[in-house]
Amino acid sequence: MQVADDLVFHKVCKMLEQFNVRNMTLTTDTDITGDLQIDSVAVLDLIMEVEDEYSISFPMNLLSEIRTVGDLVQAIHKQAGAQ
Amino acid sequence: MDLFDKMAGLPSRHEQIVAVGQDPFGVRMDDMRSATEAVVEGRNVVLAGTNNYLGLTFDPACIEAAQDALGRHGTGTTGSRIANGTYAEHCALEDEIADFFGFASAMVFPTGYQANLGVIAALAGPDDYILIDADCHACIYDGCLMTGATVIRFRHNNPADLEKRLQRLDSKDSNKLIIVEGLYSMFGDIAPLAEFAEIKRKYNAYLYVDEAHSVGTYGEYGRGVAEHDGVLDQVDFVVGTFSKSLGSIGGFGTSNHRKFPYLRFASRPYMFTASLSPSNVASVTTALRRLRSDPSLKERLWSNARMLYQRLGDLGLTLAAPPGPIVAVKIPNQELAVRCWNKLLEAGVYVNLAIPPGTPNSTSLLRCSASTAHTPEQIDWIAEAFAKVAKELAKAEQRAVDQRYAVSNPAE
Repeated sequence: MQVADDLVFHKVCKMLEQFNVRNMTLTTDTDITGDLQIDSVAVLDLIMEVEDEYSISFPMNLLSEIRTVGDLVQAIHKQAGAQ
Repeated sequence: MDLFDKMAGLPSRHEQIVAVGQDPFGVRMDDMRSATEAVVEGRNVVLAGTNNYLGLTFDPACIEAAQDALGRHGTGTTGSRIANGTYAEHCALEDEIADFFGFASAMVFPTGYQANLGVIAALAGPDDYILIDADCHACIYDGCLMTGATVIRFRHNNPADLEKRLQRLDSKDSNKLIIVEGLYSMFGDIAPLAEFAEIKRKYNAYLYVDEAHSVGTYGEYGRGVAEHDGVLDQVDFVVGTFSKSLGSIGGFGTSNHRKFPYLRFASRPYMFTASLSPSNVASVTTALRRLRSDPSLKERLWSNARMLYQRLGDLGLTLAAPPGPIVAVKIPNQELAVRCWNKLLEAGVYVNLAIPPGTPNSTSLLRCSASTAHTPEQIDWIAEAFAKVAKELAKAEQRAVDQRYAVSNPAE
C-alpha cells in the first residue's frame, strides 16, 4: 500500500510535528520512538489524539505492531475500516 | 547487534543526570535513624519523599508484632498460598482487610505491584474491554498486558473522555472494566470517583480502584478516596498496598463479589510466588489495627501535609495539586530538576526526583510526601532547603529572560 500521498499520512505528520524538535523530514519509514525520540508515554498520548481525530478505538494491544509512521497510518486505515 | 542494544540510549541519559552530582536513582541509605531520618554519605538527611504517610515503619507495636512472629513462625514461608504458604495469620489479615472495607472477601499478595498484576490478569480476558486512566501506575499497565483484553486509555481524571471512549466500543455487550486510582502518586491529585461510579452504572461496567496511596490518608476511616467521596459501596474491586501507610511490603485485593475468591485459582501472580513472610503479615495486621483505632495518625498527617504545602507555596513554588499528603513541586525541565534535587540533598533533604517517562505530560517533579512522623522542626528544615531551590529557579528564569532579550536584540 502506497501511503505517502495519503490524507491520513499528512494528518499523522501534522500530529507528530509537536515532537519533531530536530525538524526531520517525516516519511513512512520514520521510526516513531527511534528517530523522533518520543518517549513511550508520549506515544500513548498521541494515540489518544488519533482516536479522537478519527473517532476510532485504538487499543494499546495494537501498539507493539507499530514502529514507523507508515505502520501507524496503515493501522488507522485498518481500525477505521473495521468500525 | 546484541540483547542490550534496545537499552542503548539509557546509559548516556543516566550519565547526563549523574554528571550534575549524586545519582538520584542510586541513593544509598546507609542507616535508618527513624521513619523520617536516614544517613546518606555520612550525613543525616530528613526524608521528605517516602510514602511513609503514617510513619508506621518504626511504630513500636508494629515492630514488636513482627519480632514476635519472626520468633514463633520463622523468617519465611518458602511456599505459595496454594501449597504450604498459607498460615493462620494470612487468613486473619485477609478477614481483617475485608472487614475494614465492609466487603465479602480479600486476598493478600507479596507486593502491591503483584496485587494489581494478579487481580487484573485474573479478572479480564481476551473478550473483555479494559478502560484505564492514562496516568495509572505501571503495574496496572503491566497487568492489563497480561490479560489479552482490548485496552483503551482515557484522559486523566476525565469522566467525559471515559464516556466518549465507552461509546466508541463496537461490542456493547462485552464486559467492561474501568480502572482508576484514588490518589495519584506523582501529582498528588485525586480521582472524581462519584462521576466514574455514575458512568460505570450507566454503561453496566465494573469499577476497579487502586487505593495504594489513599488507604490511611483519605476517607473518614482511612479507607481511601472512594470512602472520602461516599461511593465505596459502588466500587467493585479495591486494590492496595502495605508498603505505604501500613509501613511494610505486600498488597491486597478486596471485593464484595461472591465469586472473588475464584481468583485464588485463576491469578498466576498469586499462585506462582511464595507468600508474605510471617513478620510482614504481623506488622501489617498491627498497622491496620493502629490505623483503625487511632484517628490521630491521619489527623497529624494532614496537619503536617497542610503545613508543608503552605511553606512550599509561600516560597512561590508551583505545586502540582491542591493540598494533600503528596506535595509535588513542578520544575520547568529535567536538567533543572536534577540540579535542584542535588541542592536539596546537599542541604540535608531527600525528595523523590520524578522525570519523564515516569511522569505524565513530560513533567519534571520534586515530589515530597508528608508523614505523621515529621516534626515541626523537620518541616522547617525541608522548607529552608526548598528556599534554596526557589532561588535556583529564580536564577534560571532570569537567565532565560536574558537569553531571550539577547536573541531579540542581536545588535547590542
